Amino acid sequence: MGEFFNTFFDFQIMGDNLGDAFTAFWWTIKLSLISGALALVWGLILAVLRQLPGRPLAPIRWLTIAYIDAFRGIPLLLVILLTSGGLGTLASQDVIPRDLGIPQWFGLPDPFWYGVIAITITYGAYMAEVYRAGIEAVPRGQMEAARSLGMSHGQAMRNIIVPQAIRKVIPPLLNDFIALMKDTALVSVLGLVEMVQLGSDVYSETYNPSVYVLGAAFFLVVTIPLARLVDWMIKRQEQKFQRGIP
Amino acid sequence: MSEVILKVAGLTKSYGKLDVLTGIDFELKKGEVVCVIGPSGSGKSTMLRCLNLLESPDGGRIELEGREVFGEGKPKDLDALRRELGMVFQQFNLFPHMSARENVTIAQRKVRGRDKAAADERAMDLLTKVGLADKIDEYPDRLSGGQQQRVAIARALAMDPQIMLFDEVTSALDPELVKGVLDVLRGLADMGMTMVCVTHEMNFARDVADRVIFMDGGVIVEQGKPADVLGNPQQERTQQFLGLVLDH
Repeated sequence: MGEFFNTFFDFQIMGDNLGDAFTAFWWTIKLSLISGALALVWGLILAVLRQLPGRPLAPIRWLTIAYIDAFRGIPLLLVILLTSGGLGTLASQDVIPRDLGIPQWFGLPDPFWYGVIAITITYGAYMAEVYRAGIEAVPRGQMEAARSLGMSHGQAMRNIIVPQAIRKVIPPLLNDFIALMKDTALVSVLGLVEMVQLGSDVYSETYNPSVYVLGAAFFLVVTIPLARLVDWMIKRQEQKFQRGIP
Repeated sequence: MSEVILKVAGLTKSYGKLDVLTGIDFELKKGEVVCVIGPSGSGKSTMLRCLNLLESPDGGRIELEGREVFGEGKPKDLDALRRELGMVFQQFNLFPHMSARENVTIAQRKVRGRDKAAADERAMDLLTKVGLADKIDEYPDRLSGGQQQRVAIARALAMDPQIMLFDEVTSALDPELVKGVLDVLRGLADMGMTMVCVTHEMNFARDVADRVIFMDGGVIVEQGKPADVLGNPQQERTQQFLGLVLDH
């Protein structure tokens, strides 16, 4: 029993690596917040492009749908490897500028930015679908009322439809953010020492997985409160709905 | 009362194989109040929605003050048309995330380009006229159906339209709330507003309309002075319909 416990909860090893764990988790947080914010914006842009009206804009709608289908269907790990391999190779062959191919913006290393790019383009596609559900849940009469007042489609989307849609989809967007945060672990494949990579490094030195457990604990400290927040928000929305408030 | 402001000729609309409008012709004179009656499915709401091109007609022409705004199957000047036509809906369609004031000011600012002070002043003025000055900062979910509908009327009027379209605006209201909304419509008619009202309120049509149009099967079957169309209908279909709605 003691052996079993020490395999996963070796407090000596955890303590020795606690400082590094905070540093590593800080990378996880930075990755999550920056790619999360970008994916939120990119997803909304995709959702709005997908709802453009009229026949002349149909090609844009098709391209958007193709993009969303593609990136919802490709494993994020593959996108991360493609991004780093693709951009890096293009830069080394001088096809694209070095600053773009091997990005080290704001003094942060290129694996970090490859991760941000890959997560943003993938989660943008997921979040576009969430926004779409929200936009489609706004009653048709809202768009009609806005258009009958002389607003253009764009003005109606910006002032009337999207503000209502976002209110409806904050909980599912937060759910996607929780998933995104966990998926930042995949960036470890590029050698960024975030929480999972630190666990690997320590494991290969000590043959003890306790720092993995420490990493799990760090994640749970953030994800459990977020999950509770989502539940609370959904419950509040349901209560509003029951009182007949849209 | 003589100048023609809106002219509709040969308007048609179908949904797939279902012909909803099979050729609508009518003229609307400045200051005229027209009530459109008819059984459900007769195409009267579709006709109204075609007038400001919320539904795109398949064929026909619409002229606003002599200028073609729809013809050859496509809109010519959508913005001009929607600027001049205000519309009020059966389901109110207030913007639920905005107060009464914001509902009435948003399009003034975004479409008419008015500054906040001017838009606010107009909102206060109009909400006072519809009897809701004290509700100006309430959100739609705190207003009764009748109050919401009066805000919706103020919202449309704020754009200074030349013509107001009313699409069964009292049909979704509890009976005791209908009068307040109809009173606002009467007031508008008295002030000389040009109005097209699709309605089931026969007493309102009789009292307020200059002309009543009876529609059935996607065409105008009969039209004329309310006393004639409602009191002494010439067409059999009109007689049947009025027999069903007036005897109780």
